[in-house]
Amino acid sequence: MRYLLRDFSDMGDYDFSFYVEMFLRTFDLWWVILPAIFLGLIVGAIPGFSAANTIIILLPLTLAMDPEVGLTFMVALYASSRMGAGIPAILVNIPGTAGAAATPLDGYPMTQQGRGQQALAMSFTASIAGGLLTTIIALFALPWLSQIAFYLHSVEMIVIMFFGISLIATIAARDTLKGLIAGFFGLMIGFIGTDVVYETPRGTFGFLELYDKIPLIPALVGLFAVSEAFTIIENRSIVSEHAKLTMAKPSWAQTFEGIRIAASRWWHIIWNSIIGLVIGVVPGAGAAIASFVAYQQSKTFSKTPELYGTGHIEGLIAPESANNGVTSGTLVPLLVIGIPGGATAAIMLVVLQFHGVTVGPDLFLSSPELAFGPFTAMAVTYALMILTVLPLARYMSNITVVSTVYMAPIIIAFTLVGSFVPRAYMFDMSLALVFGVIGYVARKTGYHVAAILIGVILGPLMETYFLRAMKMSEGDIMVLFSSRIGNILWVLLLLSMALPYLINYRRKRQNKTEPSGTKS
Amino acid sequence: MTGDAKTLKAGPKSLGSELIIPAIAFFFTLYYFYTIMDAPWTAQVAAFIVGSILILLVVSFVIKTLKSLSNGEGVLGFENLVKPRFLLRKRAILLVLTIAFIIAVPALGFTITTFVFIATAMLVLSDFEKKRFIIFLAITLSVGGYLLFIVAFETRFPEGPFEIFVKGFF
Repeated sequence: MRYLLRDFSDMGDYDFSFYVEMFLRTFDLWWVILPAIFLGLIVGAIPGFSAANTIIILLPLTLAMDPEVGLTFMVALYASSRMGAGIPAILVNIPGTAGAAATPLDGYPMTQQGRGQQALAMSFTASIAGGLLTTIIALFALPWLSQIAFYLHSVEMIVIMFFGISLIATIAARDTLKGLIAGFFGLMIGFIGTDVVYETPRGTFGFLELYDKIPLIPALVGLFAVSEAFTIIENRSIVSEHAKLTMAKPSWAQTFEGIRIAASRWWHIIWNSIIGLVIGVVPGAGAAIASFVAYQQSKTFSKTPELYGTGHIEGLIAPESANNGVTSGTLVPLLVIGIPGGATAAIMLVVLQFHGVTVGPDLFLSSPELAFGPFTAMAVTYALMILTVLPLARYMSNITVVSTVYMAPIIIAFTLVGSFVPRAYMFDMSLALVFGVIGYVARKTGYHVAAILIGVILGPLMETYFLRAMKMSEGDIMVLFSSRIGNILWVLLLLSMALPYLINYRRKRQNKTEPSGTKS
Repeated sequence: MTGDAKTLKAGPKSLGSELIIPAIAFFFTLYYFYTIMDAPWTAQVAAFIVGSILILLVVSFVIKTLKSLSNGEGVLGFENLVKPRFLLRKRAILLVLTIAFIIAVPALGFTITTFVFIATAMLVLSDFEKKRFIIFLAITLSVGGYLLFIVAFETRFPEGPFEIFVKGFF
């Protein structure tokens, strides 16, 4: 490890004026950043149109640009798409990407109460503040953050995956057993496809289209969008009649109130965005895991955990600050060790390689504008979003008063076609419908669709790490308990599962001993 | 729509419908185990560990449900899935239209299929009220979608007679 530390500590000695100069240089690229912000918001909000897909579509454009300008464009689009994914999650209970899957847990109930505008303002504030803060932290702590990925090997990653599943039990707190069934069912679905070592097809029902694992977008579209469309028609509108009256008089005051409420939870934003940053640094972990981890710990340590899932402010702020913290985190392993932290970072690597740029510690000495540029571009993007995106909350929330008679068919048509986009297989639309039926049954019978989705996301990752660990240990299952960090994580996992019960037990005991009048 | 679902009275708990997801999970796990029978041990281990835990969870849930049934806390019905009853017909039509949409889109293309689906589904859900508005909305959305996704974003959406016809002009 000393060897690694020595390598990364020598990434150049830059003073404060260098960073100021970098920021000013990036501000000059506002003409690239502004269109990217609006494009990112749109593609982030539409399921199936992730930042990665859009950057791939626009590759001819970015490859033709100067590498610094191209990188700035991609980074701005990436950051704003992360924020865009939260908009439909809050307003219509359909996350734009898997990274926003935890956002509707409390964001959507707020919309149903007629607080859509306020919820959007809170989400934007948490996203901007979280994204800005973590980008600045990442900028100054690059050598140290890059070490995190080196400590986590297959065994440690398996325990982290089990952490993800333990979250399910907490998310579906009303019935832990149902939550676990949904999560483990999702994991089994995630195992579908050929294994990475032996390429044996498993659980594919003979469909060639499933050999390459379960595609995430049809699963997301089916579980969230299609099932939601079949459910929302039970009411004339997403929001109640009382809430409609509140929304009939939209005012800037509601946006400012949302900003004020989010800002008053500044400590919560800082803490959860740092969680996102750290998880983002681990290649492959991603925004979905970060947002659920943030949601779980926020609920565990909350004074009012019973209110989570009913429109709790911190339940919205936690996942939104965390998934924006991931954005800067994924750039760290890309630029420092050349390992992309996610799909979008991988495409950025392709663009850099096309221009003959070699990423790694040397880049910070040879081309500091390219090494630090993505971070300053991200910080400037978040800063510009204060002026460009926050004011939109007032107008965006109006979508929720549209009758479900119109909304349900639009959701079905556009999201089903969206599920076709990533792989261009007609099969994926049928797959989305199958997931839609599973999602509908799950919603109607008390199984959380988010629990199934997190299982589908974690399944392939968990299996890959299992396979690696088994190969290295020649099939000895005790390898799972062979690492010191892994064992610490196992203990923490057990504690994290037991902690909510212990806290709940303690609260109940306290409530019994305290007179009812003194209860806050 | 005759009224909001939330105003309807809740009946006895339908425990039968709550067993659907565990049943699917159980049978899928057995099928998955069958497909990995001949795979090397290292490739089986993850699925065996996760699948075994899942089967244990399902068995626990079935026992819990049987206990609830014997205590009279619910019935072995499927009412949860179909209520509110007044929407059953519309929901079934929407499902049929969705299946038809998926079947038709490769042949008719994005724009025409989206227009027909959106217009028909909206008319059914609205009890054939505001016909002109719905037709106008369906045209706007399908053509708008064509311009945004196919023309602007150059997405590989399914192309049909409309897309081919318009392409002929450019």
